Amino acid sequence: MSARIMIIDDEKIVGDMARISLEQEGYEVETFLNAAPALDRLREQGFDIVVTDLKMKGIDGLEVLRTVKSLYPGVKVIMITAFANLDVAIEALRGDVFDFFPKPVKIKELKESIKKALQN
Amino acid sequence: MKIGGKLIFSNIFNFLLILIIGAFAIQNLNSILTKLKFIEIADDLNFSFLEMRLSEKNYFLYRDEGALKEIEQKAAVTQGVLNSVSRDVIRATGRQNYDLLERYLGDYLSAVKDISARHSRDLQSEERLRVEGRKLMEFSDRITHLERTKVNGIILYSKQVLFVSFFAILILALTISHFLSKRIVMPIKEIESIAKSISAGDFKIIQKDIPNDETGSVIRAINSMSGELRSREEQIIQSKKLASLGILIAGVAHEINNPLNNISMIAQTYADAYDSLDRGQRIDFMGKIEGETERIKRIVKNLLDFSKPKEPDLAVADMNGIVKDTLKLVQNMLDVSNIETSLELGAGLPPVFVDGHQIQQVFVNLVANSIQAMSSGGRLTISTFTGKDGNTVETSIADTGKGIPQEFLPHIFDPFFSTREDAGTGLGLWVSYGIVKNHNGRIAVDTKPGRGTTFTVSLPAHK
Ligand SMILES: Nc1ncnc2c1ncn2[C@@H]1O[C@H](COP(=O)(O)OP(=O)(O)OP(=O)(O)O)[C@@H](O)[C@H]1O
Ligand SMILES: [Mg+2]
Repeated sequence: MSARIMIIDDEKIVGDMARISLEQEGYEVETFLNAAPALDRLREQGFDIVVTDLKMKGIDGLEVLRTVKSLYPGVKVIMITAFANLDVAIEALRGDVFDFFPKPVKIKELKESIKKALQN
Repeated sequence: MKIGGKLIFSNIFNFLLILIIGAFAIQNLNSILTKLKFIEIADDLNFSFLEMRLSEKNYFLYRDEGALKEIEQKAAVTQGVLNSVSRDVIRATGRQNYDLLERYLGDYLSAVKDISARHSRDLQSEERLRVEGRKLMEFSDRITHLERTKVNGIILYSKQVLFVSFFAILILALTISHFLSKRIVMPIKEIESIAKSISAGDFKIIQKDIPNDETGSVIRAINSMSGELRSREEQIIQSKKLASLGILIAGVAHEINNPLNNISMIAQTYADAYDSLDRGQRIDFMGKIEGETERIKRIVKNLLDFSKPKEPDLAVADMNGIVKDTLKLVQNMLDVSNIETSLELGAGLPPVFVDGHQIQQVFVNLVANSIQAMSSGGRLTISTFTGKDGNTVETSIADTGKGIPQEFLPHIFDPFFSTREDAGTGLGLWVSYGIVKNHNGRIAVDTKPGRGTTFTVSLPAHK
């Protein structure tokens, strides 16, 4: 069974492009522009990995991280952000994030990180 | 001289005046008392003299030799009395009068003695007795009368003096209170009006020549406070500017990073998945890249607008004209969104002194926001009117859109604050705010979530 990956980013292109690349690797990918419906979906359907943007309107990436970790501690969370600021990075790492990518994201590195997360 | 000093001085002066008047009144009373005492004595003496003369009459009429003895006795007693009250009499009428009185009495007595010693009734001695008696009587009557007149005079005089001093004190009091109002109340009025304008945010300074007294030091204190507030405000504005510059830079980094990341991801995917993409997808990818560069271009353009020389190109203009010109620019947008527009242009607006293009830019931003806040079928009302005090021209842009939630209100003028789904830059209101502020105007927001929002731009009228 192929691994299931959820991508949350309010920039539609991020989800679209990541989906194309990750589906090529044989993963099952679902993309969301907002965190709220994504978390709803997470409750009805298990995912192995959640890739989320940090700064979003409404529920932001840190909240997604906390919610995911409290509901499904086994799910790996990868954070991406347009605004790499040290404080936020530290907070994210303390919150048990698996990996952290500042924008612009290198898709190859993202793929490798996902591979590593699944091996763990 | 300081007001305090002047007050003390005038109070001392008034006090002294009252003291003098009091002393004067006491002195008058004293002299009235002395005179009255004398009059009392004189009445007694007169009575004795009268009795003597009565006896004298008995002597002459009834040839009563014993009468002479009576006169002698009475005269001796009276002389004793006169001696015992000599001090009072001298005080009231003077030594000369006392001496005269004594002498007349002595003369009279010697005349009596003369007759009784000789036991003969010669006409000459009798005539002398009569003359001396009359002289004594007349003199005594005269000084009594004189003292009575003097008492009346003193009473009249004190009445006049008291009357005059009453007016003097009254006038002095009026002068002092006039002085007080001029030197204290007037400056306080002025200070009050300055305090009002300071609390309204206008850090004025009292320029008039400052009196060298207590109100002067209050005015100096207010002036320095006002100056201090002004420089503090400038510091705050300065630090706010720096803060918003920080927000701006962070915002630019974030805003530009997003489309940049999009372009980068499209490019990576394009290269990665080139073989599996069909022609349509490849063209779509390139279109997306173009769209993202467009986004960056818009951000840069807004930033440039903002960094352009701030000094507006001012000219006298008619606000209604500016609104009509703006409407031409946005009419197309309004039509596309199916929004009904009503114009309520005020008549007889004072002219404004503005950069017409910049103000148009403000209105375009506000109208664009309104359109974005309304679904199709909303209504936009643009009205112009003269401000309440007649010193401003107001333009309000009211929509029937979704309104602004309370928690967003403090941020809507921040750079890059945007709630738009379709990636607004969040610079519209920030830029508009800057322009209006540069024109010494204000932007006010009134919003009811779910019902609509009204932005009102108020600009100073040109005099
Ligand atoms: N008329 C309005 N009704 C409701 N919300 C408004 C209105 N005007 C402004 N806002 C709110 O204020 C925010 C900031 O407005 P601003 O014009 O600065 O940025 P923007 O419209 O989001 O982006 P842009 O830079 O394209 O104008 C908007 O995102 C919106 O949330
Ligand atoms: Mg806007």
